[in-house]
Amino acid sequence: MPDTPLRRVVITGLGAVSPVGIGAEVFAGAVRAGRVGIEPIRSFDASPFPSRNAAEVNDFEPAEILRRLDPDRWGRSGLLAAAAARLAVEDSGIEPEVLSSSRSGSIMGTTSGESAVGQSLGGQWLTQGLKGLEPRLVGQMPASQIANAVNAELGLSGDAQTIPTACSASNYALGYAFDMVRSGEADFMLAGGADVVNRLTHSGFYALGAMAADLPRPFDANRGGIVTGEGGAALLLEPLDHALARGARIYAEVLGYAANCDAEHMVHPDATSIAACIRAAHRNAGVTPEQIDYICAHGTGTPTNDSTEVNAVRQVFGDRLPPISSIKSMLGHTMGAASGFGAIASCKALEQGFLPPTANLVEIDPELGPGVDVVPGRGRDARVEIVQNHGFAFGGNNVITILGRYS
Amino acid sequence: MTTAAPVRPLTVVSAGVVSSAGYGLAPLAALLDGEAAAGTDAGPGAGDYPPRPVRPVPGFKLADHLGRKGIKYLDRLTGLSLVACKQALESAGPDGAGAEPARTGVVLATNTGSIAGYTDLLYDTLTLDKPQLINPGKFSNSVMNVSAGQMAIRHGFKGLNATVAGGRSASLYAFRHARMAMSVGHADRLLVGGSEELSAPTAWAWHHAGTLSERAPVGEGSAVFVVTSDPTAEEQETALADLLACEVGYNGWAGLNQRQEGRRGLTHGLAAAITRVLERSAVRAEDVDVVSLGATHHLGLERLEERAVRLALGHLPQQVRVGEVLGETYSASGAMQLAGLLAHWRGKPSERPRVGLVTSVGHDGNAGALIVRSRV
Repeated sequence: MPDTPLRRVVITGLGAVSPVGIGAEVFAGAVRAGRVGIEPIRSFDASPFPSRNAAEVNDFEPAEILRRLDPDRWGRSGLLAAAAARLAVEDSGIEPEVLSSSRSGSIMGTTSGESAVGQSLGGQWLTQGLKGLEPRLVGQMPASQIANAVNAELGLSGDAQTIPTACSASNYALGYAFDMVRSGEADFMLAGGADVVNRLTHSGFYALGAMAADLPRPFDANRGGIVTGEGGAALLLEPLDHALARGARIYAEVLGYAANCDAEHMVHPDATSIAACIRAAHRNAGVTPEQIDYICAHGTGTPTNDSTEVNAVRQVFGDRLPPISSIKSMLGHTMGAASGFGAIASCKALEQGFLPPTANLVEIDPELGPGVDVVPGRGRDARVEIVQNHGFAFGGNNVITILGRYS
Repeated sequence: MTTAAPVRPLTVVSAGVVSSAGYGLAPLAALLDGEAAAGTDAGPGAGDYPPRPVRPVPGFKLADHLGRKGIKYLDRLTGLSLVACKQALESAGPDGAGAEPARTGVVLATNTGSIAGYTDLLYDTLTLDKPQLINPGKFSNSVMNVSAGQMAIRHGFKGLNATVAGGRSASLYAFRHARMAMSVGHADRLLVGGSEELSAPTAWAWHHAGTLSERAPVGEGSAVFVVTSDPTAEEQETALADLLACEVGYNGWAGLNQRQEGRRGLTHGLAAAITRVLERSAVRAEDVDVVSLGATHHLGLERLEERAVRLALGHLPQQVRVGEVLGETYSASGAMQLAGLLAHWRGKPSERPRVGLVTSVGHDGNAGALIVRSRV
């Protein structure tokens, strides 16, 4: 049992620095339209690879968004996280001084940390040896610099915790930040995640046989895997009472979440364990399967993930599956930011009344069974009350958050 | 808006410690008491180290501890974590892992994963003609949460599984994380701690960073604790200590080089964290018997840490400096400081429970404090 009475927590600010646009409104418009942000890779020389596509944030100019951070002193992942957080605060309409003068901080998820910095250091190592590493870059390398960047940009003196739990990390960050605000450990928290496209991640997913030849086609009969993506996602969590008192726009209430671990295999997902996580999330949020209007899937587009995910959903929902779609079809797999973008898309779906689509779908995989509505092509108008956001990761880390329209 | 509500103690049932002192609390105690000398091993993959001492876990071979099965792609960091975890569980007794696997989880501090494993892969990626041919087994074990994931796989912990980064304060973030998770009912029992591995790239990174004094050794190790909010009757008898409040915050944005630190500065940040943990633990400053310091060998920070302790407590109590004997252990340092405190108390019975303060501060701006109460 909780030690202290828990308070209700709402999401009042959204910040997206994504391959389909910068700013939550632009992001939501692109997602709703089914626009795909995948292009030939620019950030590194991809010529040795059979596939040279990724979802990069090509128009990201940190100095246009950031007010405090010097872009030369931080890695790209930290800059993406800080920019997303700055945008989320602006979106919320809260006075930045209210945040910086209270007990506030950030919880940021990541898969590969400052991997662009690592890539640069790797180049220096090859040409000059370990002796020749540039101290400035060494200082930018720790994964913890991602949450530090958010706190530094916003002048926050509370917790700055980076959660490197791979591809469910930002959902975990959202859940943990929710715990901090509802328990009174924090006044406000920024939650989200960041990762960048880089050569090592690109190589690794190839090596695992998990990379698509051209585009990610989640739930498609001919899906071939992921395309790597990047971005920064951030959400501002605020106590409900405070949001009401200042007349804030409330995107969603965080109803609850659950996190568990397959404890079976580093890479292969486990449907039974995911189903247990869904049930626990429902229990913690006080909802039943019938109340879920939409599932924002992990939906990587690998053959194994999508069938395992639908199987797990069936175990809980039986024959009545809610619409389930994958925004990774448009954003690529943004790794540690992925479920943060899922949460932002879910908030916008609640606010604007639509179901985010699965792009690139040609033919739904019949093996997934009957009644699977992946919202193909473009977003669909719909009144949405409660959404379920999925994030799964290497290490068997499953995290599911439940967001509801505030009423 | 926040309340500084009192916290409920978390019981430390057992400890697993792998360090340059050896295995467990006893050799660490001997080293701290000056009854043993620090090792002079060359370090894993020696030959390419910067000109400064290192403190590796002597002769560490994972197969000696876990057998050969299933360890092929595991890096040194994961190996150290797994051995510490195994030791903690064995020391915890029959109920160590808890009755319900779904209620047992892991919260592990490890800042950037295995640097050696990562740089190996990075090297292959940058030099192979076909970089997509890097070893997939190595790749899937290169993610930063592999230690926590492998601990869960090996012991069947199906509860929450968190990896926590926070610079030198990462382990304190882990203790705070564990408390948060238990206080809202996500878990009954957690394996909590921190791990860091030594390698030539890591030692060079410290060397380049310029934050450690010239002769400061770079170390490694893992300290993992079985922690519960609901110990069994048997565990109540044998528990090592209770963790009271833990607070961590970020103070880096004002710029560490500014002389006028003011309210936002790092000294104030650490002192404020100490004051807050005292309040939330209902412990008076004069009741703190010992402080386990973290910034040993860190230029600028060593004195800053002592100043903050004096500022918050009004005095500097007896000190334990685990960094003196183990070297710099970065994200594992807070866990090693707790181990150092437990080692310090070990075998020295007391008439009343003693109170220890663990402090942590990093050049990145993170600072934190933890209050620990001994059982005997």
